[in-house]
Amino acid sequence: MCKGLHGRHIPHSSALTGTVPPSKTTRTHDGQALRSSLVTRPPSSSRSTPARWLPHVATLAVLLGVWTLVAVSDVVEPHYLTPSPLEVWDAFVRANTDHAIGGGVDRVVRGEEGYYLWEHLVVSLQRIGAGLAIATVIGVPLGLLMGTSRIVGTLLGPYVDFLRSIPPLAYIGFLVAWFGIYNTSKIWLLVLAAFPPIALATVNGVRGVREDQINAVLTLGASRRRAVTTVVLPATLPDILSGLRVAIGFAWTTVVAAELVNGLPGIGGLAYLSGTQNKIALSIACIIVIGLTAIALDAVIRTIEKLLVPWRGKA
Amino acid sequence: MTPLKKLATIGAALAFVLTGCGVGGDTDDTGAAGATCPWEPNEDVTATVRIGYQKIPNGDVVVKDQKILEHCLPNATIEWSNFASGGDVIQAFGGKSLDIGLAGSSPSTKALSAPLDLPVSVVWIHDVIGTAESLVVRDGAATDIAGLKGKTIATPFGSTAHFSLLQAIADAGEDASDYKLVNSEPEQIAPAWGRGDIDAAWVWDPTLSELKKDKGEVILSSEDTAEAGKPTFDLALASNDFIAANPEVLETWARAQDYAVKQIKDDPKKAAESVAVEVGVSTAEAEKLFDGFVFLDASEQSGPDYLGGKLGQDLFTTARFLLTQDGIAAVADEQVYADGVNAGPAEAAAQ
Repeated sequence: MCKGLHGRHIPHSSALTGTVPPSKTTRTHDGQALRSSLVTRPPSSSRSTPARWLPHVATLAVLLGVWTLVAVSDVVEPHYLTPSPLEVWDAFVRANTDHAIGGGVDRVVRGEEGYYLWEHLVVSLQRIGAGLAIATVIGVPLGLLMGTSRIVGTLLGPYVDFLRSIPPLAYIGFLVAWFGIYNTSKIWLLVLAAFPPIALATVNGVRGVREDQINAVLTLGASRRRAVTTVVLPATLPDILSGLRVAIGFAWTTVVAAELVNGLPGIGGLAYLSGTQNKIALSIACIIVIGLTAIALDAVIRTIEKLLVPWRGKA
Repeated sequence: MTPLKKLATIGAALAFVLTGCGVGGDTDDTGAAGATCPWEPNEDVTATVRIGYQKIPNGDVVVKDQKILEHCLPNATIEWSNFASGGDVIQAFGGKSLDIGLAGSSPSTKALSAPLDLPVSVVWIHDVIGTAESLVVRDGAATDIAGLKGKTIATPFGSTAHFSLLQAIADAGEDASDYKLVNSEPEQIAPAWGRGDIDAAWVWDPTLSELKKDKGEVILSSEDTAEAGKPTFDLALASNDFIAANPEVLETWARAQDYAVKQIKDDPKKAAESVAVEVGVSTAEAEKLFDGFVFLDASEQSGPDYLGGKLGQDLFTTARFLLTQDGIAAVADEQVYADGVNAGPAEAAAQ
């Protein structure tokens, strides 16, 4: 889904070094044409017809069927390593309810590790929310600065690119040593994962703003600052939102790494911990929840995109 | 609305939703029924106590589940953090994020040795590891350790189980280089075992039970290596600054641990209930798991065989083992390990 964005990154990173004088208008149009072809969806009227959803239901049924067969057969030994869809569902329900510990003891516990599964999810989402908020506050101004000032762009570009390419697992150890095992280190990790895509997308957007528009407001007597807030920033918004979408993807995959140490409550922490305890069904339930949440988050951002920049792709 | 204002509105709404919906959790947890402080609570302590625990069936999780510390130090803030391994606990001590934490004797020795040289002390022996860590052999591949020569044995490197395995090989008069030792986390040993990639494993529960069910036979355990004079432990570490600043917390903490050890011995059903909740096993399994460990109450472990003397030597032996495994940079002077044990809290709890 973010192919269009990555496609646009490549020419721009060479633009960052200042060697290629960008021919702004043409490329912007190309990029938008490409993206609109990727996100264009059929009109919503055809959505509800059986022809539309039947193939999806069939695919899902086949998937669950194959999964059940693999689970029932002894392809993977020992058996607990391949829980069936039903066992995963049971683990999911158990994790969202108060349940007795059994063994003839009259004791009821709450969800898993004292929290319901959705509470684990909410805690992870809160971490991501905090990380993304900070990343946006850092990333957007930094991107604007890098995009408007060639010197700053040339100087900082390589560092942002460098940061973007390090897997978070590589430095979680340092962050724990510096910022402790509590939320601070986790949010730092998420900020570090999320701000490079936001900053780079902002740079992209700024570089794509039509110069004649800026010149127009400047001739009309606007200050540089006003030119940035009234022309550059709104024109950059579609790219910032694309960057945010990529950043959310990064942050969501990173939160699991962030929750390897003292991650409870937290959906990533629960997925990891249940794996180490051989509770594979619970682990898979967590993974499915993580995947579905990621899709939902992406849908939310796309809706926001539509609300905020309705002109996008219609240039 | 301009796009910018829209963005600000949506951002504010999202921030409100994300921070607004607080999560319940422990506060209204059902908890162990009718738990109170078994002795007079100390209401003077207002410190924050940050404890790192692991899901091991010993007194620590009993203390946690029955909220003994919370009841006995009603005005203190007790923060429990779960860790998957002793290595993570040591890392957290390095980041000054913990005051008290549980780690095996191997990671604990690592904490006391170069390059870490952490300012921590061993203040309690949660358990002496017995059959809880055992050498399981697959499909009758061998009946003793000599018979495993040339075969593949999996164990988590740097762990207490790895230490016991190498001690057992040495005690049998064999050379470790004749064996194919494979480094693997417990949860990954079971699939490798199922596929027949490994012939044996020195590992702990829940993986140990799974291997025993699947054509596995125990031929040696950490109980045997302990009897041979090379015991392994689950230990409690405490930061030296914290011990100096909060002696009364340590004393209450040790009394709580002592209480939990006595409960495991005298009322295993009640203790098993807490273990079931915290470790995620059934109560029957929990009771069985107790058999894999030796538990020592405060007066037993403050004596010369443990905290009062020999434990320092055991840590020194462990350090020499870790050096051969690249686990530490250098073995410190024997005195460092003796000084790294602080029997004070256990002695106070024994009175």
